Amino acid sequence: MSEEQTILLVEDDRPIREFVASALEGEGYRIVEAGTAAHAAVEAGARRPDLVVLDLGLPDRDGIDFIRDYRAWSAIPILILSARAQEANKVAALDAGADDYLTKPFGVAELLARVRALLRRRQADRDAPEPVIRFGDIAVDCVRRVVERRGEPLHLTQIEYRLLLFLASNPGRVLTHRQLLLQVWGGRGVENHQYLRVYVGHLRQKIEDNPTQPRHILTEIGVGYRFQP
Amino acid sequence: MRIRDYVPALLASIGLTLVVAPLRALLDLSNVALLYVLVVVLSGARYGRGPALLAALAGSLLYAYVFVPPHFSLAITEIQYLLSALILFVVALLVGHLTASLKGRAEEIQAKEKHSRALYDLARRLTATLTHEEVEETAGRFLGEVLQATEARLIAEADFPHPPRPASPAILHAAVERGEPLVVPDPARKLTMVLLPLQGSAGSRIVLGFEITPSVACLESTWGLLKTVASVVAVALERAHFAQVARETEVRMSAEALRNSILSALSHDLRTPLTALVGMADTLTLGKATPERQQAMLHALRGQALAISQQVTNLLDMARLRSGAIELNEAWQPVEEVVGATVQLVKSQWSDREINVDIPMGLPPLRFDAVLIERVLWNLLENAIKYSPAEMPVDIVVRPAGDQVDVMVCDRGPGLPPGGVDELFGLFRRGQVESTIPGVGLGLAIARTIAEAHGGQILADSRPGGGACFRLRLPVGSPPSLEDLEETA
Repeated sequence: MSEEQTILLVEDDRPIREFVASALEGEGYRIVEAGTAAHAAVEAGARRPDLVVLDLGLPDRDGIDFIRDYRAWSAIPILILSARAQEANKVAALDAGADDYLTKPFGVAELLARVRALLRRRQADRDAPEPVIRFGDIAVDCVRRVVERRGEPLHLTQIEYRLLLFLASNPGRVLTHRQLLLQVWGGRGVENHQYLRVYVGHLRQKIEDNPTQPRHILTEIGVGYRFQP
Repeated sequence: MRIRDYVPALLASIGLTLVVAPLRALLDLSNVALLYVLVVVLSGARYGRGPALLAALAGSLLYAYVFVPPHFSLAITEIQYLLSALILFVVALLVGHLTASLKGRAEEIQAKEKHSRALYDLARRLTATLTHEEVEETAGRFLGEVLQATEARLIAEADFPHPPRPASPAILHAAVERGEPLVVPDPARKLTMVLLPLQGSAGSRIVLGFEITPSVACLESTWGLLKTVASVVAVALERAHFAQVARETEVRMSAEALRNSILSALSHDLRTPLTALVGMADTLTLGKATPERQQAMLHALRGQALAISQQVTNLLDMARLRSGAIELNEAWQPVEEVVGATVQLVKSQWSDREINVDIPMGLPPLRFDAVLIERVLWNLLENAIKYSPAEMPVDIVVRPAGDQVDVMVCDRGPGLPPGGVDELFGLFRRGQVESTIPGVGLGLAIARTIAEAHGGQILADSRPGGGACFRLRLPVGSPPSLEDLEETA
């Protein structure tokens, strides 16, 4: 891996682009800026960035279309910047293949944390996958299909295990209700978000110290869930 | 039907003859003649003119044949008998005719009375209608009951180019131009289509179209009735139109009032922090403040900007809620999830504030829009944090309350203002009129609007020991069972 990681920043509003670029440059990333989707597509092909930071409201094209086209040839993480009052838009972008989102107005600390998490994940994806996922006092052994808490085996149902595995293998990433239902229930009942909520509730009871204020399985209201190791 | 009326008239004449014939020795001829007249009168009253005529003819012939000597012969020997047979015939004819006319008149009056009762009923029902669709439905039901009409509908001028079959645009225009009802035969269905133009003083051009059987269409009373129907329905339509206009005006006026209050809120409550922002930015640009001061100012700058952002969010939320553009995206979900997520959000903004959460196990899932309920809880928590001393914790307590669930957000602030608690929920209302605490007084109004959209409410209580409790109360409803899910798994 090269010392300097490249981030493609696609944002049409100049002040926001400038402050995001200077914040990221301050952290030692190389920034490629684009103000339009067309320009961004060219830069994405030429510079091969390690991460794309994308504003959903671009002047020349719908950001969601851009994500779909981009996902056709690249698995590079995408971080979306979106205005509030766009819940449906956010979900559509995540379903199209974006990895995470930030709602405007956002702070620099938040931005940097998200960027770091996404780049770290990209690095982890390149490394050989670990057969045991560890977080907090939980260990998930994907080979033996056993979950342990402080060394004690934890009894999970089939659904709970599949749900936990999918969440834990996508740390830091926002998973939409639809993505989770598709992955865990396999397409059946994709519209039945209630099932998902009930099982997330059960899972929290088993793995969280305080299920009402979870540390690992975080709720993204109106969007989905995010797993935090 | 016609024949059926004639048969009893004829049978009555023959029957009378059979009954009276054996008694002819006892009865005077003139009395017998009167009995025949009686039969004619009854036939006329019962069956109308034709049967009365038949009864008169049959009666005269039977009288001449059976009773007038020589018996059982039509031959009449004496001129006197001929005269009495003729007089019987003429009298029977006249009386029968008169009786039948009276019957016809009575029937006509009865039909008219029925129609006017139906019309009265129609007018009464139309007064309860408020919309175009309700008028259409009421008129259709009336025509169906009274004229057995089908397919009744109102055809507005905009729909003239695409009229229902078998009408054509030209016929619709002709009906409106002439102001007269027009009929279009519909041979395929053996019905007649009637196009009734409705003329309102508002200049609207609407046609009431429906289909009736040709036999109903050729009755004179039908057309008299339809004329009245047309004017009654036209008046109802006009009223519906003006009611609509009035509703729209009212909405526009309240939107106008809202816009004014938003403008005044913006000018005061947003300009003040913006002025501070500009001032601090300028001071920092000059670069003359001490480094510590600069740090403090940068920190304040960020805080001010976030506060403005929050106020703008509230204003936008209120505008969206008020415009009715919000669609509830409801789903069954555990209430602890949205509470947990909101607390997490609040803690990211007020990281050093203590927030205690008390949620019992086993609460039923509720049906709500998580994004909007999060706004409610955020607003309640924000108020609690802003209006109470920084060292006092804020408590969130969730409790079932009968067929409802209460989410209470309690603080140790100054408590509720004495008197009007309801005032707090108004737009741009604040606990203290002029306050250094930032905000435009929209939070509670938004919370209440959202809670009510969910069939719930927001209540405010004073807290024992000082402070206030705001309570979001949501109905429990009947969640669907999850058994089918286990099977799928």
